[in-house]
Amino acid sequence: MSAPITHLLDGETVTAVAGEVWSALVGEEEYLVPGYGLDGPPVAGPSAWVTVTGPWNGLVVLTCDQAGTADLTRSVLQMRADEEATEEDVDDVLRELANILGGNVKSLLPGPSVLGLPETGAAPLRASDEDTCRVAASWRGHHLAITIQGATEAPVFTTEVPL
Amino acid sequence: MRALVIDDSRAMRRIVASILEGFGYETRPAGHGREALDVLEEGWVPDLACIDWNMPVMDGLQFVSAVRAVPAWRSVTLMMVTTESEHGQIVKALAAGAHEYVIKPFTADAIGDKLALLGLLPTEVPA
Repeated sequence: MSAPITHLLDGETVTAVAGEVWSALVGEEEYLVPGYGLDGPPVAGPSAWVTVTGPWNGLVVLTCDQAGTADLTRSVLQMRADEEATEEDVDDVLRELANILGGNVKSLLPGPSVLGLPETGAAPLRASDEDTCRVAASWRGHHLAITIQGATEAPVFTTEVPL
Repeated sequence: MRALVIDDSRAMRRIVASILEGFGYETRPAGHGREALDVLEEGWVPDLACIDWNMPVMDGLQFVSAVRAVPAWRSVTLMMVTTESEHGQIVKALAAGAHEYVIKPFTADAIGDKLALLGLLPTEVPA
């Protein structure tokens, strides 16, 4: 078993990874404005996550506020202003962003590790603060959070607003 | 030139296809390895296949091995386009028969550079 995530990664690194993902997928001129960590405001919206299984076990979770998910989808899919993103589009874009964030976070952790297939839903409950690294950020005024949280048999905490 | 874009994410298929079409490729999508094999079996053999690793039904590595087992498909250049960036995974994919490896997130220029290395960049890119 590996050390808790806070001994392996810090918020600055996660922010840097997320920034790269954002400029490659969302747009070159699109910036994530980092905000707060664990104590940052909860995000009310859907989540997408991937599991990481290896020396460190846990989830990489992306949560974005409801209006933000639609905007994000339109940007990633380069939709015209009059095009509406379907629920399926939103789900797919969130899953892929979580997948890429997860893969890049995994590369910073002790390996070898296996990445699971992405899932979506309400933000999964998490473990103790010691095994959680959360970056709250904003993009075009929308709130979002990237949380790297250790797997636990009895997850009890949630920072985000339950759906 | 023809390219098969294999990824379980519709968003990623759209992004990769759009980049390749910008380089002059005709593209077809597939949501996983099995669906991609169906395309090859129906006779649509591309010059290039861009392959995600983690997919349901049949993953990218299984697809690479399946393609390499068929002599008629030897001409297909296989390029992994994936979040799997551990050295061991890259070695595994190349050993299975992949020619190139692109790690997500990527830029259009990164794909263009790989295509140039592979000699698969059409000389006349449409305006």
